[in-house]
Amino acid sequence: MTHENDKPRLDREIIAMRVAQELPDGGYVNLGIGIPTLVSSFVPEGRTVFYHSESGVLNCGPLADEGEEDIDLINAGGQFVKPVPGMAFFNSADGFAMIRGGHVDVTVLGAHQVSAKGDIANWMLPQRGVGNVGGAMDLAAGAKDVIVAMEHTDRENHPKIVQVCDLPLTGKECVSLIVTDLAVIRRTTEGLVLEEVAPGWTAEEVQELTGARLTVSPSLREFQL
Amino acid sequence: MTTPSRLDNQQMAQRVFQELRPGSAVALGSGLPGLVAGQARPGSQILFLSEGGGLGYQASAATAGQGQTVVDSGGQGVDLIPGGSMLSTIDVAALVRGGYAGVVVLQPAQVSAQGDFSHWTTAATPGLFSPGWAWDLANGPGRVIAIMGHTRADGSANIVSQCTLPVDGAGCVDIIITDVAVLRVGEEGLVLEEVAPGWQAGDVTAITGAPLILASNLREMSFEPVVAEPPNKVYSSGLAAIHDLPQGATIMIDGFAGLGGMPNYLMVALRDHGVGGLTLISNTAGVARVIGFGTPPGRLAIDHSILVDNHQIKKAVASFPVSPSPSRPSSFELALQRGEVEVEVVPQGTLAERIRAGAAGVAAFYTPTAAGTQLADGKETRVFDGKEYVLEEALRADFCLIRGYKADTLGNVVYKGTSRNFNSVMAPAARITIIEVDQVVEPGELDPEEIVTPGVYIDRIVLRPPDFLGYE
Amino acid sequence: MSDPRENSGSTVAKGKVYPSPEAALADITQGATVLIGGFAGRGRPEGLLRALVSNGVDGLTCICQGAWPQSPEIMDVAELIANGQVRKLIAPLGFYSGSGGPVAAFWQSGEMDVETVPPGVLAERLRAGGAGLAGVFLPAAPSDRFLGGKEVRRFGDRDFVFESALRADFALLRAEEADTLGNLIYRGSQRNWNPVMAMAGRVSIAEVSLVHEPGGIDPEAVITPGIFVNRVVLQAD
Repeated sequence: MTHENDKPRLDREIIAMRVAQELPDGGYVNLGIGIPTLVSSFVPEGRTVFYHSESGVLNCGPLADEGEEDIDLINAGGQFVKPVPGMAFFNSADGFAMIRGGHVDVTVLGAHQVSAKGDIANWMLPQRGVGNVGGAMDLAAGAKDVIVAMEHTDRENHPKIVQVCDLPLTGKECVSLIVTDLAVIRRTTEGLVLEEVAPGWTAEEVQELTGARLTVSPSLREFQL
Repeated sequence: MTTPSRLDNQQMAQRVFQELRPGSAVALGSGLPGLVAGQARPGSQILFLSEGGGLGYQASAATAGQGQTVVDSGGQGVDLIPGGSMLSTIDVAALVRGGYAGVVVLQPAQVSAQGDFSHWTTAATPGLFSPGWAWDLANGPGRVIAIMGHTRADGSANIVSQCTLPVDGAGCVDIIITDVAVLRVGEEGLVLEEVAPGWQAGDVTAITGAPLILASNLREMSFEPVVAEPPNKVYSSGLAAIHDLPQGATIMIDGFAGLGGMPNYLMVALRDHGVGGLTLISNTAGVARVIGFGTPPGRLAIDHSILVDNHQIKKAVASFPVSPSPSRPSSFELALQRGEVEVEVVPQGTLAERIRAGAAGVAAFYTPTAAGTQLADGKETRVFDGKEYVLEEALRADFCLIRGYKADTLGNVVYKGTSRNFNSVMAPAARITIIEVDQVVEPGELDPEEIVTPGVYIDRIVLRPPDFLGYE
Repeated sequence: MSDPRENSGSTVAKGKVYPSPEAALADITQGATVLIGGFAGRGRPEGLLRALVSNGVDGLTCICQGAWPQSPEIMDVAELIANGQVRKLIAPLGFYSGSGGPVAAFWQSGEMDVETVPPGVLAERLRAGGAGLAGVFLPAAPSDRFLGGKEVRRFGDRDFVFESALRADFALLRAEEADTLGNLIYRGSQRNWNPVMAMAGRVSIAEVSLVHEPGGIDPEAVITPGIFVNRVVLQAD
């Protein structure tokens, strides 16, 4: 499993760019913290996406410029954002009604692990003894589509895509697409399907760094950007 | 023998009005209850609630149908008073079930000696019970006043030993005010407390279909309004507002993450107040102090950490209890490591929904969030349509400390931007809710369509001193 | 299914605004469940109701305050019933039977079922549906005629009854103003059922008096955020 492969991997911006292509025109999208936050910078031209934020704003804008920060206008990560026309403010009960009620089309989450069945673990590392769940479990359970954006392996090069998660779960059987620095993997009724690989990588090399069996798509291709 | 004259509808409404006190909402059903709103005088600050969503209204000064946008429970146009606000149907339902309509006035078709009632719709739509709001209003925690004719046009009694029409609410009615008498529904039966001018107890008994017990202080009805001082909600300081917050209390404090939306001034007051053993319900247990979120360099944000450092917190119920950065642990995490505090981690949406349930008189709900995770351990789960759900129970608190932008002196509140989030959810979920605001204005200065938290949910208001900073 | 909006192109650029109530209802199908806002003649989407009558789709389950026409000038769900389009009516007020008429006749003949429910319970079931909950435990009243077969459970010192969540295929709403993103504000008692029905409708359609570009509505004043609203139509004069 710990086969050393030092081929170049994609950077976080490319992962975000690839995820951005999945966002539907006119869709409501919630971006988690980390790589997912970068996704908003890469939405293809001509496509409009409305961001939902647990902080209590719909049509959440991009990060505020220095000097323009307003403590009453933040995103879910506590970062200051810009006001944009068409915003709506709401309270947290309504905000999570939007999430659980299936009104949010897509959420993009980071993860520690994703399993073959689409389980996701992203909120707690047991060695810390306590974790911040925030809105992650609500998003995993409620959003129509859950996309995971993450590195393919952890710092010790262990696979983050596993047969069964051994870290505390965030949600079960909810992930529909995984975009990593090596591959695009879709969860189907037949299991995980490898659809795209990073330039220079083969399906076999990706499989070696993956803890769950991948079905190679007949139309396997290089990352489509 | 001449029969003494009966009260007219206005006199009945005047008598009902004597029962009302400023402060909580008074829900008026359709029919005769609608006349009670006409008794209000400027400044009486009784907040009538209509099924049409008006909270704080009076009879319209304009001719019916002349542009009134607010209707009472019977569909008549009314005017909002200064400090009135608009609610939607779900808001009305939550307010009534949550116990914030202290008094409910209905016009039943029949009331029994046990306080059972049949609503007029039972008689109006034979074979089909059309409860309208009567069922919700009567079965809420509020005190129920029935206003009705003592008898029907044919002389038969409306107040009976047992209802002959289908019962719409059992044991709901507390007081019956008719055109001849005031009756209290007591443990021992119906007690005749007052009779209309010119009427004797025997006259009333003769036209009542149930036995009456005569009150020892049986008296004649009067119609003068009872003047009660509206409660003063504006407190001079944070400490004054929290003076009675007791040791061991359960408290809600908002604090989504950053400096906006946190009642920093009340937090300092609570630290100075010093009581301990507190259970804290909040989105975070204080992370702004370590993360900053825009705090100027060299300063420390005032957040929940100051209460933890002062050993006042016993337990936190939170979705984001510790720092996002393990290398910069918060006071709460350090206290957790020392075993000084407990934590219950709750998904953010479940936390918001549990607080909303507590506010709205909902005992529990099934949510898909956390199904199959360790946060569902020990909880009942159930499958609906092939999907697993977790049973979660309502949360309420003794005290709630929140932050708003502007409040009027009745407690109507507007928030600012993303600083609304948990504040407006928590406002109705505590026995005593205290809000810290940047501005206090007079009733009528806030647009009734834009009021987010109606004043019935706010007990105390504190002006955040203009020179107070959210950091130290 | 083709997009009933004219001039196809980016749907977002055009916002959610449909050219007519008929276009906004073009894809409603037989047997649909439809939420209809309104209380005492206020906040009722009259143009959408008229379009639904002319659409003629039948077998509908209609959920609303009741079939109680306030005046002949105000379009009421009673006209849908009289037109034979309603299989079931779920409503706190049922229908006004004082004057008899076609609505009573449809009920008496069994062509239309009527289920009357307390509005506070109905509102909470709709909110649960819109908020993704499976159901809620609401206070049970003694000798409650609505209990019939439902689970009763004790929490604390009193009994509560399980009420399942409710969603619908369509929600027909009335608001005063919208922006092209579907954010809504209301005027006075027009608000009533509309915000909670917006949450519970799979396709929620708002009939409004004025449509703004984004930014035309104060974000603090928005009552129904656009995420709950799929289509907007301008009320005809």
